[in-house]
Amino acid sequence: MEKTKPPVVKRSLISWVWTSSLKLQVILILIIMIEVFARVIPLEMQKRIINEAINLRKIDLLFMYCGIYLAAVIAAGMLKYLNNIIQTIIGQRALADIRKALYHYILTLPLNFFRKTQPGMVVSSLITELTTSGNFVGMAVSVPITNVLTLLAFAGYLIWLHPLLALVSLSIYPIVIFLVPILQKRSNKANKKRVDAGRNLSSKIAESITGIHEIQGNGAFDLENQKYDRLIDRLLKIRIVWTLYAQGVKTLNNFFTNLSPFLIFILGGYLAMKGQLELGALVAFLSAQEKLYTPWKELIQFYQVYQDASVRYKRTMEYYDTLPDHEIAPKDRKPYDLEANLEVRNLSFVTDSGINLLDDINFTLKPGEHLALVGFSGSGKSTLALCIGQLYKYTGGHIQIGGKEVSELSKKDLVQNMGFVSQSPFIFEGTIKDNLLYACSARNDENGSGQDAADSMPTLDDMIAVLHQTGIFVDVLRFGLNTILTPDQDKDLVSSLLRVRQNFQRDFGEGLTDYVEFFDENKYLYYSNLAENLTFGAPNRDEFAVTNLPQNEYFLRFLDHAQLTRPLMSLGVQLARQTVDILGNLPPEEVFFEKSPVTPDELDEYKLLVERLNKVKLHELPASDRAKLLELALRFIPATHKMVSLPEILESLILEGRALFKDKISVEDPNAFTFYQISQYIFSQTILNNIFFGKVKTVNPQAQEKINQSIIQLLIEEDFLETIVEIGMEFQVGTKGDRLSGGQRQKLAIARALLKAPNMLIMDEATSALDNNSQARIQNLLDSRWKGKSTLIAVVHRLDIIKNYDKVAVMKAGKIGEFGTYDELIAKKGMLYELEFGKQ
Amino acid sequence: MNSNSENNKKIASCEFQDNLNILRQIDFFSTLPLELNKILAYLCTRDTYKEEEYLFHENDDDGQAYYIISGKARLFYNQAGKQRMIRDYEAGAFFGRLALLGNMPRIFSMKAINELTCLTLTREKFTKALSQFPDQMPKIIKAVAESIQGWEKRFLLHGSENCEACMHNIGVSLV
Repeated sequence: MEKTKPPVVKRSLISWVWTSSLKLQVILILIIMIEVFARVIPLEMQKRIINEAINLRKIDLLFMYCGIYLAAVIAAGMLKYLNNIIQTIIGQRALADIRKALYHYILTLPLNFFRKTQPGMVVSSLITELTTSGNFVGMAVSVPITNVLTLLAFAGYLIWLHPLLALVSLSIYPIVIFLVPILQKRSNKANKKRVDAGRNLSSKIAESITGIHEIQGNGAFDLENQKYDRLIDRLLKIRIVWTLYAQGVKTLNNFFTNLSPFLIFILGGYLAMKGQLELGALVAFLSAQEKLYTPWKELIQFYQVYQDASVRYKRTMEYYDTLPDHEIAPKDRKPYDLEANLEVRNLSFVTDSGINLLDDINFTLKPGEHLALVGFSGSGKSTLALCIGQLYKYTGGHIQIGGKEVSELSKKDLVQNMGFVSQSPFIFEGTIKDNLLYACSARNDENGSGQDAADSMPTLDDMIAVLHQTGIFVDVLRFGLNTILTPDQDKDLVSSLLRVRQNFQRDFGEGLTDYVEFFDENKYLYYSNLAENLTFGAPNRDEFAVTNLPQNEYFLRFLDHAQLTRPLMSLGVQLARQTVDILGNLPPEEVFFEKSPVTPDELDEYKLLVERLNKVKLHELPASDRAKLLELALRFIPATHKMVSLPEILESLILEGRALFKDKISVEDPNAFTFYQISQYIFSQTILNNIFFGKVKTVNPQAQEKINQSIIQLLIEEDFLETIVEIGMEFQVGTKGDRLSGGQRQKLAIARALLKAPNMLIMDEATSALDNNSQARIQNLLDSRWKGKSTLIAVVHRLDIIKNYDKVAVMKAGKIGEFGTYDELIAKKGMLYELEFGKQ
Repeated sequence: MNSNSENNKKIASCEFQDNLNILRQIDFFSTLPLELNKILAYLCTRDTYKEEEYLFHENDDDGQAYYIISGKARLFYNQAGKQRMIRDYEAGAFFGRLALLGNMPRIFSMKAINELTCLTLTREKFTKALSQFPDQMPKIIKAVAESIQGWEKRFLLHGSENCEACMHNIGVSLV
């Protein structure tokens, strides 16, 4: 079934009507039949009520006909509602199907395609342009059938009532049928233009958002605004024309259908006067004629929706009507397990515009051999790697892996055998673990789920090993240590952590006093915020959370009592003034705000507050402003927010306040806080701070290193390391991995390729964002663990790491200039020598 | 008015204000507008190094500039596996300008020879801040060019004549 289907881009809009919900469509048709019947009944009843019941004064007939009338109206209404429900379901299902199918298809398109296609355009195709198609599919069966049947039924009824009158009043419709398509054609033309213009617009928006750094950096606002405004103006014109034509169709239709009653009055009135038509029949005729209007209008609307949807649908599908370069899955076999020897013969790659990116490349690699591709940028080394990895389709010659031609292999074959680390690897939103398992899960999904797949998934030990090897282990451990546990989490974990804390204090407490500020009841904590300093405990209820304290009546009363309100207010004022002064005009970037007590979102609010402060005295400010200032003061961390210093006198006031608060609240509300005690786990703090029973003071890398070593040693002794790393692997990396550094992203990408343990590995400048040590570490790993096991093709930018490669290929202008071992090539004093030591 | 001057006194003693005063005395920053210097003073950090701790090693791309607030640091060059001492830097020294402008793996190593406190500014922060004031870039380039020029002049004035080998390789200001 799957394989005989044409690709989604070749399917017609109509075809979705049948594939989406055939059963529902059949039910729908049945409902429509009854509904139409139910709609005609009131007409006949109307006539009978007048002619039989009222004229003959038969009260029982009046009741009966009215009863039937009522029942028919109710039935028609309910059926109409049911009809709508089914229509909606069919339409939305079809829309979902089209969206899925198109997205699935787009992902398989060649990389080349995406060079010319902006993400914004794909988004607008999938989200906006296809909605009308869904609406259309929903309507496609029910609307024409209902309305045509209704029309026929009413028309038949009219003819049955009075053939001549009926023909005259119906004579209008052929005129409309003739005129509407002419207008519609023009509307379609405008609509096509509108789709294209909308597409350009979304590409433009996507472009400026992606390039916002460049725009702001160059102050190119006017330039970009002009470009954008031009597109909008063009779209405006097209939309006006389009809307006018669409309106024109409606107006035309309205005009002609309104002519109908006029004809009936003239002719019907004349006939009635002459006694050739009963009054009841005229009334029935008039109302039946009036009822023609609704189905007719709906048919015209349907026609418009159909036209609009098919224009958008065709335009969208046409755009994506490119074939994927390679088959996705093999048809009638399992994916190959390939021998990892590589043979490249007479390989060439010519772009569409005729540029020779690769020219007559020849070389072979035995399984397990490592090849470094070097050369200036633009020499074609990345292109070669991408061709071998099937990401580009080469235009001539051969690449054979295990004797099979790469261009004839399906994606699944390749994925089964090859790992790929790209120049700027992409990290997806989710946890570290999700990203680590990305390559493995993708491969296993391809092989079908179930027991087999579960078996071939890496174990926790595998994952930890690869984290170690790629040098991201400590980072993940850090993420784990920076996690805040919730009280309902594993009890054992918490009690073990308390044990770790004790051992830490015993073994390392002394040695780390320079680096850690321990929670000491008698000292001010410069690395904790003011609220923590005052309460010296973890709140057990939300109302005492730092963010809620400025509104907490109890806490405010306490501040008054401890005579802290005024000094804190004045601290808040200083913080607000200084922060606004320094950061007032800066964009909301992490780097600017990491040492600010005000978040980027709040900056504008505080700017206004500072302006108000310049006009009125502190005590004249409204309560909400005072709360804002207090909040700022409570957030104040002396070691971080350096724009203001903590006055000595306030420090001692707070220390006194701390004792006072403890005394007061332990009597009045004993369960509100858990005070920092060496015997208690603190749920408001990270695991690391809990182990330390304090906070790290420094960001100095050497100090960090010392701290890490102590912690790792301790965790190993306690057999706790894996648990923390496992928690760390649950760290959310943010969209595009933006909560990781460039180096971390690259290490994670290498780790996920290695975890898959492929026969063949392609690394396209995979270590370019790493510092020397990390790069050397990865290189050692490749040399010691992967040489002889996996064939490696590495595009290398820095030459200091290529000495241990089995082969080096020096590329120049799309050709291999030199090929051999490092020593051979250096001895030859040719191109590699020149690259490494410069021209002699 | 009264409370305002009181505020100023308090602020004057805070780290940010001290940093700002330091930056405004360094040639590299002194010509920049106050608004930018404020941001830089806010962004830079103070690091302390214990005796024997390294500020950076050869080949590190630590990507920051240093100003020594107190203490002493010593520069080394690794010559055929042997560490050769070059010179000492003391309080008031500012170095690492070029690392603020682009990737610059260190050719030398530097370590603290007693308790050292530095004001440091990273390339990332510097670049981000400067990107808010694109028209200031020429001043920075000028300051760098002048400092290279000044260095070479000083080199030629003091003692280079004793070193015949050096004379063949002078002219760094011509790069």
